[in-house]
Amino acid sequence: VRCRKCSSRAVIGLPRHNSAFCSACFDEYVLDQVQRAIKSHRMFGRDEVIAVAVSGGKDSLALWEILARLGYRSTGLHIDLGIGAYSEVSRKKTEAFAQARSLSLTVHALREEHGLGLSEIADGLHRPACSACGVIKRYNMNAIAAEHGLPVLATGHNLDDEAARLLGNVLHWQDDYLDKQSPALPASHPKLVRKVKPLYRLAEREIAAWAVLHKIDYIVDECPNSQGSKMLIYKDALNRLEAAAPGTKHHFYLQFLDRQKTRASHAAPSPDLRECASCGQPSTAEVCSYCKLVSTLKVVP
Amino acid sequence: VLHELEILPDTVLVIRGDELIPEDEMVRDEDTIEVRPVISGG
Repeated sequence: VRCRKCSSRAVIGLPRHNSAFCSACFDEYVLDQVQRAIKSHRMFGRDEVIAVAVSGGKDSLALWEILARLGYRSTGLHIDLGIGAYSEVSRKKTEAFAQARSLSLTVHALREEHGLGLSEIADGLHRPACSACGVIKRYNMNAIAAEHGLPVLATGHNLDDEAARLLGNVLHWQDDYLDKQSPALPASHPKLVRKVKPLYRLAEREIAAWAVLHKIDYIVDECPNSQGSKMLIYKDALNRLEAAAPGTKHHFYLQFLDRQKTRASHAAPSPDLRECASCGQPSTAEVCSYCKLVSTLKVVP
Repeated sequence: VLHELEILPDTVLVIRGDELIPEDEMVRDEDTIEVRPVISGG
């Protein structure tokens, strides 16, 4: 197979674009897709310092590298979830990545804060680990970014993540979540930072390929808690559809975004946010989800 | 390779040494390859 742009030997085929690229042209394609995402949703400018949520996986490390290559200023935020060897390797890879590129990184360790790792916290609360993890990561990432005066938090969510999330929201007709499912969420409270997803135009496999081509040493192992997760079930269903009809995921999510623009004027207004009575962070309830979670553990935040 | 193993093409990368192998390329019997999953559950 030859590169569609320059006719060199292709290293990756992109059936959804009926295309194939050599290493150099694929690099150009990836950077172009990210820049297009940033501009079309006015995610951030070159005068801002971007907080990048980095887990040590392919998506977040690739995002951090891509932003640096595009000339954006950034700093990394990593949450050490304390999930045994998985978290130890994730943290080491994140720290090594930052050090090799002289990028600044803030690490927040759950075990240092609460004396417990995520799995023990979830067991103690009798709730699924992924549900507690979502609350913990969202809360801490926002709080740390706000504390450092960073206006925007970028995450490594990709096209597959967003298409799978959309499928889940549609299957359960989660109207509230559908209204909020966007690659760019504005800060709706002075203590909330903007949330953006610059990789939403790129498939998971494309990002992994880019990471391999750029020799990014990421953690390949999947989180042990994610086995059997609904996200993986939705992704499997979408990948079966994609194999039969390339472009399905792309059209499903990007056409949803197009329709969302026209729906925006009819969308329900954002809920009133107040400050959590316990920690002062924005919340729709008197006490925020994170403080409720922590208080159930009978540990003071 | 992927067809024989019944692996969906969007779920893995096939890597030989430092290089990516496009999905339609045949590999030789003596090749050592890594079939690396790319799907994460988060």
